[in-house]
Amino acid sequence: MTTRPGPHARLTGGLLLWYGVLGGAVAWAVHVLAAWSLDELACAAGSERVAAVPLWQAVGLAVVIPGLFTVGSLLVAALVWRRTARAGEEDRAFGRSRMLAVVGVWANLLFLTIIVLGGVAVLVLPPCQR
Amino acid sequence: MSTTTTPPPGVSEQDLARLAEHWGERPSLRGWFSTVDHKKIGRRYLVTAGFFFVLAGLSALVMRTQLARPEAGVVSPQEYNQLFSMHGTAMIFLFATPMLFGFGNFLVPLMIGARDMAFPRLNAFGYWVFLFAGLFMWASLPFGAAPNNGWFAYVPLSGEQHNPGLHMDVYALGLLFLGISTTAASINFIVTALKLRAPGMSLNRVPLFVWAIVATAFMVIFALPALNVDNAMLFLDRRFGTHFFDPSGGGNVLLWQHLFWIFGHPDVYIIVMPALGIVSAVLPAFTRRGVVGYPLIVLSIVSIAIISFGVWVHHMFATGLPQLSYSFFSAASTIITIPSGIQIFAWLATMLLGRLVLRVPLLYVIGFVVTFVLGGFTGAMFALTAFDQQVTDSYFVVAHFHYVLIGGAVFPMLAGIYYWLPKITGRMYHERLGRWAFWLVFAGMHVTFFPMHLYGLFGMPRRVYTYRSEPGWDGWNLVSTVGSYLLAVGLLLVLVGVVHALRRGRPAPPDPWEGDSLEWATASPPEPYNFPVLPRVHSLHPAWDERTAESVRAGATADRILSDGRRTLVTSELDAHPERAVQMPESTLMPLVLAGALLVFFTSMLFAWYPVAAVAALAVAATIAVWLWPSRRPDEELGVSG
Repeated sequence: MTTRPGPHARLTGGLLLWYGVLGGAVAWAVHVLAAWSLDELACAAGSERVAAVPLWQAVGLAVVIPGLFTVGSLLVAALVWRRTARAGEEDRAFGRSRMLAVVGVWANLLFLTIIVLGGVAVLVLPPCQR
Repeated sequence: MSTTTTPPPGVSEQDLARLAEHWGERPSLRGWFSTVDHKKIGRRYLVTAGFFFVLAGLSALVMRTQLARPEAGVVSPQEYNQLFSMHGTAMIFLFATPMLFGFGNFLVPLMIGARDMAFPRLNAFGYWVFLFAGLFMWASLPFGAAPNNGWFAYVPLSGEQHNPGLHMDVYALGLLFLGISTTAASINFIVTALKLRAPGMSLNRVPLFVWAIVATAFMVIFALPALNVDNAMLFLDRRFGTHFFDPSGGGNVLLWQHLFWIFGHPDVYIIVMPALGIVSAVLPAFTRRGVVGYPLIVLSIVSIAIISFGVWVHHMFATGLPQLSYSFFSAASTIITIPSGIQIFAWLATMLLGRLVLRVPLLYVIGFVVTFVLGGFTGAMFALTAFDQQVTDSYFVVAHFHYVLIGGAVFPMLAGIYYWLPKITGRMYHERLGRWAFWLVFAGMHVTFFPMHLYGLFGMPRRVYTYRSEPGWDGWNLVSTVGSYLLAVGLLLVLVGVVHALRRGRPAPPDPWEGDSLEWATASPPEPYNFPVLPRVHSLHPAWDERTAESVRAGATADRILSDGRRTLVTSELDAHPERAVQMPESTLMPLVLAGALLVFFTSMLFAWYPVAAVAALAVAATIAVWLWPSRRPDEELGVSG
């Protein structure tokens, strides 16, 4: 028989679970589109500033904020994984949540890595160098 | 013929007769054109896509013959342009995706324990559109009006100024027409997999092939609009003088490439993903164990589906964008190898830990691993901007994507054909013939495409009609051409094997491989209603799970047999709790009529017969209205136990 984690059952379903599973993916999508378009549009306009902010700082924000969002998602996924540790094979909802938590943990690590790797270039490359 | 399982206890002869009456279709000409049975439509997808594959393969053979020697004159430059454009366009759009959708059509309802796709008429419509769009495009070749600008159709070369005539109009309209089919099929796969799964099949019990098909369908839904918009704008530029891609009128040439590759790179995975699903489906039967790391393979499928949308700029590393922009796409292009690698390691671990049964499907899986990994290596090389700029537009690229696409899609498809042939046809294939075919295909593939890495590095550009005698080019080109004929003979033997199985193969039992998923719990070929009792799933491997068989035996109740109409069971999206039974549509000619009206519309647009196009558009609208007109009372819900 499965023991349900009563007070934190919401972690095994609902929006928080989906934040843990897909948060990193959404953050990375925002990061790549924001960082790329800021760089492209500003450089195409011949400027290295975005609304008075230096371009490298603006692009840096498009790296740091999604990165932090992904860290949060990773923590939630890890928490769900711990809370569903005792899910029985016959308990469909808990078994499903546990699998999604495993997917979430690894996916968030993957997306965090991409954001960090792409972000390193902000420190190294001048924004508009071709 | 059909080898049937014994009806489960609790299912009466009357139940079976009523199921057969509701789901069966009369063998008549009208019945042939009006069928909505997912198995028949799946088979048609497979056969039609196979036919287009043969045409595209023959185009490739002519090209390889032309390139066997320097300065050969087998075909003219104009003919060569059309051949390589149709080869690429057909292989990508008319073969790879439809072939895999054919597998999906046949297998997804069977694997999830349903009686049909969620929208059977839409399914039939998708097939007819695919057939007509394919014929629309191929019919242009004998008239010398086929697309002649590659499958990527870059502007400004594909614009009216540089490319007059119908060539690129056929391309733009043909792909717009075909897009209707692909979109319809994708929506159908998503709804089917989310709403028609057997009770108990929660997300952690969904077969990996179904996960792959659903992820692919989502990718199509998000990626295809970019291509459709691109083609619509190209057609408007060419026919009506708009300036979307014309810099002199304020347009942007790079816009084509951005939109094309926002579709084009996910499309690589749209092609490869279901094929990887086939590998995950085939392995358990030939290793006698479940695939290692189920959640990690799901992770890989979902991650690839998402990351593939953020790598398109690596196709444009030579177009002169800021280097900082490149870094975001270079990072994503490098990292996408991780989820791909996870699957490879999971399959290798499965083979290592399992007990191998070396039959033809497993040979193709091993061939796939070898070839796809080699293609993956060169893919990772392209993710590095500096290397990419050295080899871009050389034969190295041609070698890379053929390793990925033949290794990653064609080999798994061939594994799937041999694996599911007994289920699809009710006949076993000839093992020795299959092995001969495998070794010829495997050797032919590598002899053809490996040398392309070399003469690509030696500087031979892709898409050239001919070349002067250059050191390092002549000999390897000849080797490639010999390899291509070897590959063709191997593929011919595959075809011979299928025909042999159909005509002389011994009857297949319901489960010749001891497979783990639900399609093996049905007759070979399956009855029109798939399952006499809708199964209840208790694990990831229902066909190996005695509890699933027991629940079919013990649960033959009215709400699981559903013989009082053409009905199937709807369940909840996440945990597959039974919700209600729904009435499924009967066979109808409406999908064929609608697809025919669309064919008239697109043909009229091609030849600028605008009044005819207007009439065809009205016919399309009228057919849709008739199709959707409510003709019966709303479905009466049937109570089902949870």
